[in-house]
Amino acid sequence: MPVYYLEIIVVALGLLMLMVDAFVKLEDKRSIAWIGMLGLVVVFALLFVVKWPASTEGAFWKFYSSGDKLALYFKGIAVLTTLIVLVMAVDYTPTILAQIANPEAGAHRQAGLGEFFALPMFACAGLMWMASANNLVSIFVSLETVTIAFYIMVAYLRRNVGSLEAGVKYLILGALSTGFLVYGFAWLFGITGSMQLSEISTALAKPDINTTTALFTFGLILVALAFKVGAAPFHLWIPDVYQGAPTPITAFLSVGSKAAGFIVMLRLVSPFLASAELVGKVTLVLTVVAVLTLLVGNLAALPQKNFKRLLAYSSIAHAGFLVMALASSPRAGGNSALTPVAVIAFYLGAYLLMTLLAFLVMTSLRTKISGEDLDSFRGLAKRSPFLAFAMLVAMSSLAGIPLTAGFFGKLFVFKLAVESQHWVLLTVGLIGAAAGFYYYLKIAASMFLSDSGKGQIDLPAISVSPLAKIAMVALMVAIILAGFNPGLILGLFV
Amino acid sequence: MSFLFYIFSALALVGGIGVVVSRNPVSAAFSMIVSFLGLAALFIQLDAFLVGTLQILVYAGAIMVLFLFIIMLLDVREEEKRRRPIINMIGAGGVVLAFVALVITVLSRGEIGKATLPPLTVTEGPGTSDVHRIGELLFSQYWFPVQVVGVLLLVATVGVVVLSKKELK
Repeated sequence: MPVYYLEIIVVALGLLMLMVDAFVKLEDKRSIAWIGMLGLVVVFALLFVVKWPASTEGAFWKFYSSGDKLALYFKGIAVLTTLIVLVMAVDYTPTILAQIANPEAGAHRQAGLGEFFALPMFACAGLMWMASANNLVSIFVSLETVTIAFYIMVAYLRRNVGSLEAGVKYLILGALSTGFLVYGFAWLFGITGSMQLSEISTALAKPDINTTTALFTFGLILVALAFKVGAAPFHLWIPDVYQGAPTPITAFLSVGSKAAGFIVMLRLVSPFLASAELVGKVTLVLTVVAVLTLLVGNLAALPQKNFKRLLAYSSIAHAGFLVMALASSPRAGGNSALTPVAVIAFYLGAYLLMTLLAFLVMTSLRTKISGEDLDSFRGLAKRSPFLAFAMLVAMSSLAGIPLTAGFFGKLFVFKLAVESQHWVLLTVGLIGAAAGFYYYLKIAASMFLSDSGKGQIDLPAISVSPLAKIAMVALMVAIILAGFNPGLILGLFV
Repeated sequence: MSFLFYIFSALALVGGIGVVVSRNPVSAAFSMIVSFLGLAALFIQLDAFLVGTLQILVYAGAIMVLFLFIIMLLDVREEEKRRRPIINMIGAGGVVLAFVALVITVLSRGEIGKATLPPLTVTEGPGTSDVHRIGELLFSQYWFPVQVVGVLLLVATVGVVVLSKKELK
């Protein structure tokens, strides 16, 4: 089966879900999510059997790269993220309904739920197209498909002021960053005369390139992409939007949107890094961004009291480590198999596993206990040992404790920094990682050590839906296996 | 012809500044129309007739009417009374000036704008109009992005309905 069928299947699934929502009388609309989940499982399995067509003639292949193992890996990230977001969305149903339904209307009691399950499918298709995009036009249209789906999903809880505020903030800042991206693309086309990434690399690598215009172009593109991945100083939207958005969508944003940003960044920044005339200054700019992001993300996470805000700052911090890998790429890794691209891809895979696990635990808690405050984790180990253990695995991996996937992610990044002798970056990265130990393990400690609050003695045990349980077990197994043997993930694309 | 370029760019810029500066949303919307007209004239000067026409038909026509409709539903006086902190104005002005200075520096140092392009050869006859050529390109060379934009529009439509419908059914 040719590889481009995958996106068509995902879009068709999304359409099917919308159709079922509109025309089939369902008592419980959560079955719409099952269509999506089953379909995505099939698509994920198909990722391992698809073939690249021998011939790449025709207009299509000007927009879609061929024979690209890394693109397949990123498509896998998109499918897996969407699958788990749907699992979370099913658990999150009561909250969605409470915040969108109109009580006095005589409508279906689950009106508006079907679209909430269908929109992630279209975002997933956009992410998959982006993974294969090799042309400025296809990068732009797929990125916008994803972003517009996100604008809607963030503001989805339309009777909740927090969600609407998050939606408006994300929309205005997102539109501004898109403006920068398009202006950058226009300059890139102006100085290279092509929309094709391969031709852009060739044009930028010429020794007579005009460095002023090329650096200006790089700056414009970097502003837009730093916004998408949440790198400082363009990270200000992240905490508010993450806190206001529905929890499954926060998870989708923090994994899907970030992966998308880094795929595009890898593709667009690499030509600049490959040019001998530009590499010095580009590296300097990336280093400054990485240092700022690492400091802001890790230090601002320390005093957080709200779990979603904490994960928001943690996501900024992880973006810092990823930009750090990019910044130390030009001088590193000539002889090893661990190329900078492989390091970033591995880190994104590990980040997916651990972040989604943390959000899954949080969604299960959110429907049972009141808030998102860190205090609500107190004494969790007594009430639900399973959830507490899952959270412990997620937090250890996010902090980077050995025998978890997160450890190897950070180790590879530090290894790159050492190889390229970027001592400033290495120092800041180590400070960031040390701060991370504190704020991630603080949560783990409060789950196991403290009793649940002062007044509340016997809170009921928490039950977890079987579906979420399966997803959590799978993620935990993946985190620990990759913690023993990172080759399991690396083998997928190296 | 060069003085026409300066006139229309000035028109577009003055309109743009008017959008930002004017307190009254209706006059802001009208300034936007002025800016769009200037842009359309610039496109037409570049022989991009279709883009220029679309700029007027779609943006100055359809979208601005929609804007004005929405503004009519808002409380305009409330908006006029809102005070803007002076520090924000200074900050925003500073950012704009810095960016303009940056663009001017880059333009003066770069080769963009200095290259002399060959004059456009005009071919006559059926099938050579702007509309025809752009349509043909979109549905032959660029069919894939057009399909993706189709998905994008579907997502946007679903979103508008879900977010703005008064009573979901």
